[in-house]
Amino acid sequence: MPFALLKYGLGSDKPAKSHFSKSKPLKNHYDVVIIGAGGHGAAIAYYLARHHGITNVAILDKGYLGGGNTARNTAVIRSNYLSEESVNFYRESVKLFGGLSNELGYNIMMEDRGQLTLAQSDAAIRSFRWRAEINQRLGVRSEVIDRKEIRKLVPNLRMSEDARFPILAGLWHADGATARHDAVVWGYARGACNRGVELHQLTEVQSVEVADGAVQSVMTNRGRVGCGCVVQAVAGMSSVVANLAGFKLPIHTYPLQAMVTQPYKPVLTPLVSSPQLHVYVQQTSRGEFVLGGGADPYALYNTRATLEQKETMAAAIIELFPFLSQARVLRQWAGIVDMTPDYSPVMGVSPVKNYYLDAGWGTWGFKATPICGKSMAELVATGRVPQLIKSFELERFYRFEQVNEAGATAASH
Amino acid sequence: MKILHCPLNGPRNIAEFTYGGEYHPQPSPDECDDRSWAEHVFFHDNPAGRVIEWWCHTASSYWFLAERDTGSDRVLRTFAVPKNAEFGVDE
Amino acid sequence: MKAVHRLPAPQGLFVNHEQSIEFKFEGCTVKGLAGDTIASALAANDQWLLSRSFKYHRPRGILTMAGQDANTLVQLPGDPNCLADRTPIEEGLEVSAQNYSGSLRNDRNSLIGLFARFLPVGFYYHAFFRPRGIWNWWSRYFRSKAGLGVIDQSISSQDYDKQYLFSDVVVIGGGPIGLQAALDASNSHENILLIDDQPMLGGSLNYSRAGKVAADDLLRRDQLVNEVGSRANITVMSNATANGWYADNWLSVISESRLFKLRANKVVLCSGLLEQHALFHNNDLPGIMMGTAAQRLIKLYGVRPGHRAVVLAGNDDAFGVALDLHDAGVEVAAIVDYREQESRDPRAVAAKDLGILIMNGHAVYSAIAADRHIAAVEVRKISGPGECFSGGTPIDCDLLCMSVGFMPAYQLACQAGASLQYDDDAASFSISGLPDGFELGTDTRTANFPWPIFAHPKGKEFVDFDEDLQIADIVNATRAGYENVQLVKRYSTCGMGPSQGRHSALPTARLVAKATGNTVAETGVTTARPPFAAETLGHCAGRSFYPAFKSNIHHRHVEAGAKMLQAGSWYRPAYYGDDAATSINQEVLQVRKSVGLIDVSTLGGIDLRGPDAAEFLNRIYTFAYAKQQPGTVRYALMTNEAGAVIDDGVVCRMEEQHFYVTATTSGIEAVYRAMLRWNAIWQLDVTLCNMTNAYAGVNVAGPGSRELLASLCEDIDLDKAAFPYLGVRRGRVAGIPALILRVGFVGELGYEIHVPQYCGEALWDALMEAGKHSGVRPVGIEAQRLLRLEKGHIIVGQDTDAMSNPMELQMQWAIARKKDFFVGARTLAVLERQPLQRVLVGFCMNNGAEPAKESHLVIDGDQIIGRVTSCAWSPSLEKVIGLAYVTPSLATPGSCITISTGGNRKVEAQVVSLPFYDADGLRQAL
Repeated sequence: MPFALLKYGLGSDKPAKSHFSKSKPLKNHYDVVIIGAGGHGAAIAYYLARHHGITNVAILDKGYLGGGNTARNTAVIRSNYLSEESVNFYRESVKLFGGLSNELGYNIMMEDRGQLTLAQSDAAIRSFRWRAEINQRLGVRSEVIDRKEIRKLVPNLRMSEDARFPILAGLWHADGATARHDAVVWGYARGACNRGVELHQLTEVQSVEVADGAVQSVMTNRGRVGCGCVVQAVAGMSSVVANLAGFKLPIHTYPLQAMVTQPYKPVLTPLVSSPQLHVYVQQTSRGEFVLGGGADPYALYNTRATLEQKETMAAAIIELFPFLSQARVLRQWAGIVDMTPDYSPVMGVSPVKNYYLDAGWGTWGFKATPICGKSMAELVATGRVPQLIKSFELERFYRFEQVNEAGATAASH
Repeated sequence: MKILHCPLNGPRNIAEFTYGGEYHPQPSPDECDDRSWAEHVFFHDNPAGRVIEWWCHTASSYWFLAERDTGSDRVLRTFAVPKNAEFGVDE
Repeated sequence: MKAVHRLPAPQGLFVNHEQSIEFKFEGCTVKGLAGDTIASALAANDQWLLSRSFKYHRPRGILTMAGQDANTLVQLPGDPNCLADRTPIEEGLEVSAQNYSGSLRNDRNSLIGLFARFLPVGFYYHAFFRPRGIWNWWSRYFRSKAGLGVIDQSISSQDYDKQYLFSDVVVIGGGPIGLQAALDASNSHENILLIDDQPMLGGSLNYSRAGKVAADDLLRRDQLVNEVGSRANITVMSNATANGWYADNWLSVISESRLFKLRANKVVLCSGLLEQHALFHNNDLPGIMMGTAAQRLIKLYGVRPGHRAVVLAGNDDAFGVALDLHDAGVEVAAIVDYREQESRDPRAVAAKDLGILIMNGHAVYSAIAADRHIAAVEVRKISGPGECFSGGTPIDCDLLCMSVGFMPAYQLACQAGASLQYDDDAASFSISGLPDGFELGTDTRTANFPWPIFAHPKGKEFVDFDEDLQIADIVNATRAGYENVQLVKRYSTCGMGPSQGRHSALPTARLVAKATGNTVAETGVTTARPPFAAETLGHCAGRSFYPAFKSNIHHRHVEAGAKMLQAGSWYRPAYYGDDAATSINQEVLQVRKSVGLIDVSTLGGIDLRGPDAAEFLNRIYTFAYAKQQPGTVRYALMTNEAGAVIDDGVVCRMEEQHFYVTATTSGIEAVYRAMLRWNAIWQLDVTLCNMTNAYAGVNVAGPGSRELLASLCEDIDLDKAAFPYLGVRRGRVAGIPALILRVGFVGELGYEIHVPQYCGEALWDALMEAGKHSGVRPVGIEAQRLLRLEKGHIIVGQDTDAMSNPMELQMQWAIARKKDFFVGARTLAVLERQPLQRVLVGFCMNNGAEPAKESHLVIDGDQIIGRVTSCAWSPSLEKVIGLAYVTPSLATPGSCITISTGGNRKVEAQVVSLPFYDADGLRQAL
């Protein structure tokens, strides 16, 4: 019996204290204002305090902690991307995830399940080999595996040759994992608040005041706040907030739907993804099957679910796991994701001085939480863009230097 | 599912349509600088509010424009692409 | 088991007392009646224990008797997590309980309840992670304990169907309000669909007791149901659940094995109310149920819910429950009424007249168990909201009915965007913000006791039965800083189980409100998401429908022994024969030396006509077409606005204002749509028609192709002078009208013949017949890929990726410099001013070397400097050739490059100029 629980159970006053800062008025000025208290915002605040001793920080969120995409995502952690810059980036993130529970003193419930992506066409095999080669060279565990090896890993996967899209091969990513997405933002927020960062929920930034090309302050529903600098980390609202600061982003915003079934006894260990069928699945530690797919077909700032997407995902998953036709759907939901032309984030400086960007996270945001927090914190603290995120700068679009990443997202676009 | 009113075909299920993204009038390629051109190619207004955007009725291959509120998903109007508007390359 | 609780007719509206059905529960035979649900049949046989709870494995039984809780989840063969109170029994059905170790009665896992104090809300966040990585071990343990039912992995999907429905008005709910709404709508609307989830219409009229006289409800029911039946424009769907509301009144309705997708002009939601529970110590014991649950058991299923009952009252419906219990022969030991004031409701008066003890201003403080069932309650006098004086009265009972409040069934309304509000003062709900075309029939003003919550020092006052969460769990979550009700939900998992907040949302909101000093109205309930009730993935999937395209010549390939592969949605022949390497090599040589047939029907084809056709093509493609002569063919390369190559093909000019353009198989749809969009802007005078599926095509390729074709072609002069390379002609081949192109893709004399698609097979047959003496053979896609590789031609999507521009591909020659404009030109102008990052080159490998695979990387020491995009053993050149991206410094022919072939293996290769084969291009121009 873990000692911590024993102590807790035998104690009388529980819980000892709040994980987060108590609600209080906003100060007139902060060295750093982070707009968005999702995983990224909380992580940035944490590392600012932890690595750089910068604690005069406020995290502002118009809703509740982690209530945006962090609350809604399907929690796939992986680094088996395509471009070198992305692989290096996500690899560091997966490493940080591995030690994060201990770093934060908060169990983020990370499980090293492994992730299998299915190739159901020759083109897919080619693309997987490309990813595997790059991954291996850069220290990420990825390999192309054949049907026999797939059967060993996922014995209950339908391998029939007369399926409409027979499984030809797979990309096995042993580093693939899952974690409790809410715990990540709570752990980071708690760690930040313990170090003096202020968390202000239900605090909406309504305008950004820029003078002489630099950000001066933000106006919120609870008053004006002067800022040494600002970081916007508002996945799903990046263009809207950037617009307050006076600039546009290369982003189209779409709903990304998911659904979960009732809990069943465990039958599936790895995370499985089929780009061909536009579906991916994992069975959580609660026994529920979480299903995700491709982004919605048209831009929309709304978290409504559609029947069409549910039908598509259900039909697709039953192609792979016919027995899942028995599983009952518990709930559908959606997040709102910022899609970029090159399926890569937009990180770094913006056209406004002292206003930093953490945007364009599409379907790849949760897995980047730790490395994003660390890198952005470094940028804010030192004023220098870390090498690891240089390729993701907004300026790359002005140079027509997109990141060559198409084809490595889970359900593939 | 959502119903979209095609100017040619009338009200149809949205699954019959292909979305074409935000409408951007193309700046004159000869007159705009590289940065403006890059913004035309890659950047969007992407508001949580009204946009003009492209839609195609897939089966009849008919392209048209819609004005839609991207927050409420309410389509305010759909219309054929106007003739002789300030689009793209001059004749 | 004996059916000791069965009541005789007329009790039991849904059951047929004459028809007995036998089934098994946990291996024991149970006798029920036709129309029984599993739960009602078991109840009739005195089996009240149905399941074990998720976390503490506490004994659980009937709660709502309406499928609105998860206490009754049982396992059927091939159907886990089945609601026992909604599933009808069948002869021979084998039902098991779920989630126990040992037996349902003696579940070893219930020992975990002893450790409850060590497992507070969110306990797993604060332990189980030291040392680093240990959670992987713990999670395997937790995973094995988690989950409810068992999925049968041997079962493939059963057959589920889908059906579309349309109706003017859809009324959801066949209770008194729904029936009346249907009748009202029937007067003014064309057709009405009335959906009800029970076997018979009537809703609460079938089981509830609105007044002193029980029969009054049934009379009213009969009246309404008969009237509905008499209306020709009302259709009734029973045993159907409206599970989801989607945009523009698109509803999903599940009935048996069918998913109905229903479009309604108007929706009227009359889905009634969900009864809520009371919180007190041990409020989860079998035998503790909603008042309406007891009434359903009695009146719908003819089952007496117990012998001696206590009714916990927070509203006047409790008295109706008491009267019904009395009529069914249950001794009502007491009505414990939270309210100080004696009720004047006629039902209360009747109860009092019957001599039933009514204890006003009292609460059930705790329930006492014996043998996994309620045996007694402790009743205390209320001293304040949620507080009691010490010293209680024990009352023996084997049934406790809770009648303390209702929530409207808000889910569909909230899915449609409405919000659910709570008035703290009136302790009642309202729903507002419904979209157009969506009305609420249900009266949401319900009689709620504002605080049916009594905390106990020993806890176990369950807020959420699914997740085994008690009052302290909710309060402690807020104390830990998770104050917003959404955070409480996520931190505690409250409302995240199969009941999805039906009974937990209200007490959670109340407790969180109190703990954070807000009103319930400010705190809010939760978001409602589809589906309303659980539906299987099988229902959502229906029957598999993934169309495949087959060329008109498909059967000939199969007959000739082709190995078919999938290219996009098409089936295409990869090679003919059993051994890939042998067949492919033979097919390549066949084309180089003799003549082969390649099915190119899948190729995209667009017909363009009009005065501006040439101008249009000039703007779409990088090359120039204004001066192209009729009867000739030119290469076509397409870039997008970001300057990346997205497709290629050829442009044939038929006449001055008539072109025929080809595109890749996988790109044609997007290309055609893109072209139309551009012209929606440019509005040039040109008409486009996508001919792809209208044409079949055969490429007759090889030095023997002219002779072969000549034997079938009477009206075209095939002489080199009359029909040169890169020409296009029209005529008849074997009598079939055809368009014939001479192109250089595979680099031999050849004729690409396009015919009406239904003539494809006939064309193939004619060619095979005509060529049988010269040994004509079918040639597959793999050979075609090799042939084009020998000529150094790119395949878009294989040798190009999302970013490849023409300069990287060494295809500057395809960019017409004199044109004013083409899509991508402006960007290419920018890119040309920047240094190239990579170049696509041809390479050869030393004899004897194993070919590299596509996507193997080109390396320089530790650096990745490129990748192989195509590579194969060339039978024509007898060496390994390929295409690869390399850094510009290594792009010069003669350079040496190193290719990593997996692991630590490396091979060397030499960059050579392209094409590999027939550098002067003589053979294709024969």
